[in-house]
Amino acid sequence: MFRWRKLGRVFDPRAVIGRPWLAEFAQAPSVLVLDDCLRVYFSCRPPPDSNGQYVSFSAYVDLDRADPTRVLRVAERPILELGGLGTFDEFGTYPVSVIRDRGTVRAYYGGWTRCESVPFNVAIGVATSSDGGRSFSRLGPGPVLSYSPDEPFVLSGPKIRRFGDLWQLWYIAGRKWKPVAGRPEPVYKIRMATSEDGLRWDKVGRDLIPSRVEEDEAQASPDVFRANGKYHMFFCYRYSSDFRGRERGYRIGYASSTNMLDWQRDDAKAGIDVADEGWDAEMVAYPHVFEVDGRVYMAYLGNQVGRHGFGLAVLEGELA
Amino acid sequence: MKWRKLGRVFDPTQHRLPNGCVQFAQSPQALVFDEFVRVYFSTRAVDPANGKYLSHVAFVDFEKNLRDIRQVSSRGVIELGALGCFDEHGIFPLNVVRHGDRVYGYTCGWSRRVSVSVETAIGLALSRDGGVSFQRIGDGPLLAASLHEPCLVGDAFVKVIDGAWHMWYIFGTGWRRYDAQSAPDRTYKIGHATSADGVQWQKDEARQIVADVLGPDESQALPTVVTITGIHHMFFCYRPSYDFRTTKGRGYRIGHAVSHDLLNWTRDDASLALDGTPGEWDGDMQCYPHAFECDGRVLLLYNGNEFGRHGFGLAELER
Repeated sequence: MFRWRKLGRVFDPRAVIGRPWLAEFAQAPSVLVLDDCLRVYFSCRPPPDSNGQYVSFSAYVDLDRADPTRVLRVAERPILELGGLGTFDEFGTYPVSVIRDRGTVRAYYGGWTRCESVPFNVAIGVATSSDGGRSFSRLGPGPVLSYSPDEPFVLSGPKIRRFGDLWQLWYIAGRKWKPVAGRPEPVYKIRMATSEDGLRWDKVGRDLIPSRVEEDEAQASPDVFRANGKYHMFFCYRYSSDFRGRERGYRIGYASSTNMLDWQRDDAKAGIDVADEGWDAEMVAYPHVFEVDGRVYMAYLGNQVGRHGFGLAVLEGELA
Repeated sequence: MKWRKLGRVFDPTQHRLPNGCVQFAQSPQALVFDEFVRVYFSTRAVDPANGKYLSHVAFVDFEKNLRDIRQVSSRGVIELGALGCFDEHGIFPLNVVRHGDRVYGYTCGWSRRVSVSVETAIGLALSRDGGVSFQRIGDGPLLAASLHEPCLVGDAFVKVIDGAWHMWYIFGTGWRRYDAQSAPDRTYKIGHATSADGVQWQKDEARQIVADVLGPDESQALPTVVTITGIHHMFFCYRPSYDFRTTKGRGYRIGHAVSHDLLNWTRDDASLALDGTPGEWDGDMQCYPHAFECDGRVLLLYNGNEFGRHGFGLAELER
C-alpha cells in the first residue's frame, strides 16, 4: 500500500511577472533532475486573443533540490517557438515530456493546429536541447508521431521513457469527437509506441487502459514509473461531458504492469484524491512521478487543469 | 513521344451526378475491366454549412473505346470522413489498384484549417464489389505529415511492379504568404514510398524525386507512372506556387520524367509534347494526368481549364 502526502501547490503562474506569455496555466509538469535543482517543465498561456482563443507555450521553473517546494527561478522565455504557418504546432506546444539523451535533452510535445469543423487537432513533435534544457529546437518541421487508421486525430500527452534498450512513448489518441452542448469534445484513450531511436515509432495499436467511469471516459497523462520490478502508471481520467467541475472532472488513476503492455487498472490504489477545499478541491490531474535523492514525488495539477499552477506530493509506502 | 489528343470525353454538366454535385470531374483514374473502363473522378457539392465545396468521388463507365458512356454512378463510391477526420471535407483524388479480389482505393482526404485553407493525408479504403463502393480501413490516414514532410501529404498513385508496391505521392514543403493581401499558398513536391503489402508503407521521407524547372517555388502534383518498352515514364502537373488560379501562363501544365530503376528520375518535359489547344477546354491549363494501358493502348486522362471544372479528356500515345 502507498499513498501520496500532499506538500501543497508549489508554483502559481499568476505570481510570475514580466512574462506576458506566462499569464495563466502551468500544465502537465515534467521533471529533469539537475545537479542543484529540479527543472520542472510545464505549459502555459498568454491571455486569449480577441476571439477567446489561446496559444500555449512550454517553459520551466527550477525548484530547490533540497526543498522542492521552493522556487529558485522561472524560465526567461518559452523553451520552443511556435511552429510555422500551416504546420502542426502553429498554435501550441503542449504538453511536453523531457528525457536525457547522451549529452542532450530531448523533448516530446503536443503540437496544436486549429481546424474548421472541430476546434483543434494535435500531433506529437520532437525537439532537442544542447544547453541543458533551457532552449530547444525542432528535429524537423513536422510531427514525429502522427495519425494512422485507428488513431485518426488528437495524438497528444506524450510521456517519453527509456526502460531497457528501447524508447517508449505513452500518449493519448483521439477516438471520436463527441458533440457536447453544441461543441465537439474529443474522447481519447491511452496508447503506446516503441522505438529504437526515438524517431521511428512502432505503435502498439490498442488501448492500454480499460475505461471505467463510462465508455467515453477521456484518459490523459499516462506517466509510467518503474519500481520494485513493476511498472506503475499514474494517469488521469474524466467524464466526456460536464467535466469542468468537481463531480465529473479529472481524477488520478493507477495501473500496474510487468511488461509495459498489459496493465491492471486499480484506481482505488492511486493514493491521491481531491482535497476538501483549496486549489485541488475540484480536480487532480496530469500526474508526473519522479525520484530524487531517495524520495519519490508526484507533481500534479489542481482545479481548472492547472490554470493556477501545480503542486507536489511525496510518496509514503512502497510502490508494489 | 507523340500524343494524339482525342478531346474531352466527359463533361460533368451533361450528366446527373450523385450527392447533388453539378460541376467538376477532377483527377480521372481508370480501372480497366474486361468489357469496359471505369473512370473515377472527384466532383463537388456545396457544403450547406458555409457554402464551401465538398469533394465526392463518383465514376463513369466507358466502353473500351473510351468514347461511349455506359453509365454514371448513381451514388458516391465512398462516404466522406467523420467529424474531425482527415477526409471530412473531401476526397480528391481516389487512386485504385486491383489486388486479388479487392480493389484498393488510396484516397487523398481533405480537411479545412483556420490559418491555412486545408490539410491533406492519404487514406486507404477497400472495395469488395468490383469498385462500386469502398469502405475505409480506419477513420485515420495511412500516410500523413511526418518529421520532414510537414504538411499536405496526398495524391497517391500506387502500382505493383515486380511484386513490390510503389507509391508516388506529394508532400508539402510549407506554406507561405507571397504578399500581404493574398491568402497563404503551399508548395508541394513528388516523393516515393514502398511497401510489401500496400498497407504498411516506408516513405523515402522528404526526398524530392523530380527536379524543378520553375525553381523552389514550383508545385508538383498528381504523379502517375506507366512503363513503356522497359522505360518508366512519370507524368504529373506543375505550376508556380502562387498566382496560378486565373493568371494566364501560370496555370498547371503537364510535366514528364523518365527512369530506368524507379528510383532516379530525369525530368524531360520537352519530349512530352502535350500542349493545350488555344480556346478549347484545355487551352489555359492541363492538369491531373492519369496514364494507363488498355488493350495495348497507352492512354492519358487529364483535366483542362479551371482544374477540371469542365471535365476531363483523353490522349493516346502514338507508336
